[in-house]
Amino acid sequence: MNYSPITENDREEMLKRIGVRSINDLIMDLKPPLNEKLDLSKPMSELELLEHMRNISQKNKIMKYFIGAGSYNHYIPSAVNHLIMRGEFLTGYTPYQAEMNQGTLHTMYEFQSFICLLTGMDIANASMYEGSSALAEAVLLSSSYNGRNCIFIKNGLNPRYLEVLKTYCEGADLKIVNEIDHNTACVIAQNPDFYGNIENLQYMSEQAHKVGALFITCVVEPTSLAILEPPGTYGADIVVGEGQSFGIPVNFGGPYLGFMAVKNFLLKKIPGRICGMTTDSKGNKGFVLTFQAREQHIRRERATSNITTNVALMAIASTIYLALMGRNGLINVAKLSYSRAHLLHNKLKSLGFEALNKKPFYNEFNMKAPSGSLENIFSNLLKNGILGGLNLGEDNILISCTEMNTVQDIESYVSIIKETAITK
Amino acid sequence: MKLIFEYEEETTEHVPDVDDKEEKRGGEAVEGITIELPKDLIRKELALPNVSEINVVRHYTNISRMNFGVDLGFYPLGSCTMKYNPKINEDIARLDGFKDLHPLSHESCIQGSLQLMWELEQDLKKITGMDAFSLQPAAGAQGELLGVMITKAYYKQKNEKRKKIIIPDSAHGTNAATSAMCKFETLTIPSDSRGNMDIYKFKESLKDDVALVMLTNPNTLGLFEENILEISDLAHTNGTLMYCDGANMNALLGITRPSDQRFDMIHLNLHKTFSTPHGGGGPGSGVLGVKSFLAEYLPIPRVIKQQDSKFVLDYTKQQKTVGTIRYSYGNFGMLVRAYCYIKSCGSNIRKVSEHAILNANYLLSLLKDDYELPYNRRCTHEFVLSSRKFGEKSALNIAKRLLDYGFHPPTIYFPLIVREALMIEPTETENKETLDRFAAALRNIANEIKENPDIAKGAPYTKLVGRLDEVAAARKPNLRWTALSQSDGKEDNEKKLYVEKSVKNSSSND
Repeated sequence: MNYSPITENDREEMLKRIGVRSINDLIMDLKPPLNEKLDLSKPMSELELLEHMRNISQKNKIMKYFIGAGSYNHYIPSAVNHLIMRGEFLTGYTPYQAEMNQGTLHTMYEFQSFICLLTGMDIANASMYEGSSALAEAVLLSSSYNGRNCIFIKNGLNPRYLEVLKTYCEGADLKIVNEIDHNTACVIAQNPDFYGNIENLQYMSEQAHKVGALFITCVVEPTSLAILEPPGTYGADIVVGEGQSFGIPVNFGGPYLGFMAVKNFLLKKIPGRICGMTTDSKGNKGFVLTFQAREQHIRRERATSNITTNVALMAIASTIYLALMGRNGLINVAKLSYSRAHLLHNKLKSLGFEALNKKPFYNEFNMKAPSGSLENIFSNLLKNGILGGLNLGEDNILISCTEMNTVQDIESYVSIIKETAITK
Repeated sequence: MKLIFEYEEETTEHVPDVDDKEEKRGGEAVEGITIELPKDLIRKELALPNVSEINVVRHYTNISRMNFGVDLGFYPLGSCTMKYNPKINEDIARLDGFKDLHPLSHESCIQGSLQLMWELEQDLKKITGMDAFSLQPAAGAQGELLGVMITKAYYKQKNEKRKKIIIPDSAHGTNAATSAMCKFETLTIPSDSRGNMDIYKFKESLKDDVALVMLTNPNTLGLFEENILEISDLAHTNGTLMYCDGANMNALLGITRPSDQRFDMIHLNLHKTFSTPHGGGGPGSGVLGVKSFLAEYLPIPRVIKQQDSKFVLDYTKQQKTVGTIRYSYGNFGMLVRAYCYIKSCGSNIRKVSEHAILNANYLLSLLKDDYELPYNRRCTHEFVLSSRKFGEKSALNIAKRLLDYGFHPPTIYFPLIVREALMIEPTETENKETLDRFAAALRNIANEIKENPDIAKGAPYTKLVGRLDEVAAARKPNLRWTALSQSDGKEDNEKKLYVEKSVKNSSSND
């Protein structure tokens, strides 16, 4: 397939105008020349491509998911996809020319507002790549704010996020430490944590602030914010996290939606794009990218981050999702996720699973299966099209539910476990 | 346009209405479960608007109409490669088997995705001549970051203290910003009169504390670095690694390979060269390719094809890995689209770059008499003009005036070494007629400015908003909606829904 519309006639005319005889005359500088054709497959027509890609996609198997651990399978209203597929949203780039890209900017402003409302913070940027690197950026921000290089992480951070944090810290010469003191740049706590536990983290923010450290709350399952107190109310200076739950498919891990929100005093330290409302020459309301002096294209090595391309379209998707759900819809999602998870939890408990959560949980929980049974349970569930959770080893399991896990699904999950126990 | 927060009406039910069911059951329980949480955990208010589906759809459809994209017209934003984004690739990325696959699925359930990632890596290796790729980076800047992290780990392993990174003064700002994130100092080398990195200044700066040379090739002037082989050899002799910022790979497909220019690493922007849509600013993908001696530093996991043709995610073989830079394996949806694009072009992929170069040179030939060409050389896939003869701020004014002609303006004021820079990248997906119309518009504007400079200064005139005041935006920041920012200053109590009403307080007595 060829997406270039240039005809042979055009090509000849263009070459003539340039004053060369052939395209080869234009590429003489590009050295060293590759003397043979690249060994890529035969070009495919659209029809052949679709067939080929259907075949590949069918080698994947989609399950009923009782797994979260950073990616949550929520319902996405149909209108989200219809709207983000509009070429006006899809095929533009960063709105450098504000007058021509008010659509992206207007939506960015609404996105920032939604994130602030949900997290209880003052300012949000227009998105980060995804949750774990957003957390790493929050750590870099803290260190640049107070000039300290030690990071304290409360137990219960998603282990994949921890790995990413370690990689970024190695690059930036930061240390992960076991106690909070006057060298601590920031204190990090995930809420709900990796195991699903939720708590009011006021005491953590007080400990951080006592030594002049910033307090970062990481939210990986943001539908929880519909019914839980927002981190802004218990003293977070920075809230970062993953917005994938808001209208973005699980997508085998990406693209997702990192977000970052801060208190006012960190405005000039925040990485990434920020949209602001302003007026035009006639006094009409409009939107522009603002505080760009923080960014790499102006500040270069003194920039707050190197981030440039973000995940704008995912931010637009989540904005549309939140608008479609509204507060009623979002609270329903949260209540259904909560109740389905607790329903399954109770049923598993009655089957002899040990409850490991020491605190209240939202839609994800940690249990211990009866000794030695987990491998069998997992493989039987898989045979029946169910991904039963995340196996944490030693019969330890992390299970998550959303509104997509119907009461019927929960019942079949439970009956497969019962059968497994019988045939063991 | 209203803000979405200014609506308040009946919502459309997208998930089962829990409160409804509760009423029918005459209790608080949802499917037999009572939601009970300690009082200090329960949200007090949630000020989101309730909006009907029709008005959400109208709101965002109308908002989208205030936007411009490649689907609407010519978008020659230099350095960004705003080429056509094939529609079929959107459909394919949304096949259930791709979009609904959980990243932590069992290995037997992800064979299709792993095959795609593995095959994409093979094709990217052929195109660049590199030996291994990480598909993790979410954007070019994260690809750079990974490259600089690998550089740091490489010298740490060799026990060498190298603290400096060389970049030319034409480089993207990300190169310097990335170096700083890993605590490297940047040495900026000026460009010579032909737009190359000044080879004499380069030699002077290349001391034994230099870890890395980061070059964009073709560079941001749209010019191929003429001394690239000498630079690479000098760097390697000095024990310094060579990094290619692959933002301009659209000029090189099938023509020359970065490995043959002796680069050790390159990131590719799949959203530029390989046509995944820019989405108003992302998502992108900034995959990183390296030569074999650096492959062991790449992030985990790696996709491996076993002898039995099964694909696995391997976490153990990367002895020197820098770790991992994201929660998952990459922006998979973007990988699907880029894979599709490469399969579509196949062995004819060279034509993409040939036509990109043809279009740029043709457009340049139409414009070089009316605007200044600061480096008088044949360009590659893009070129940089200067409008300095039209005075201060002329590039900005020309860009704003172009809006009235229905074109997206070029990148302006970059690269920094050209005053009043207009950086123009037409891409291969435009026809001659479009290029002719664009050139005519730019020539008209040049004539207009000569006759009456005020016209361009007041532009744009035909957009929904006139020139926006960026200074005011920064002076009086208004970065979000709040209930209080309404014109009447009154708080909208209706917007507050007391979550407490439907969540039982477990610490109370009842």
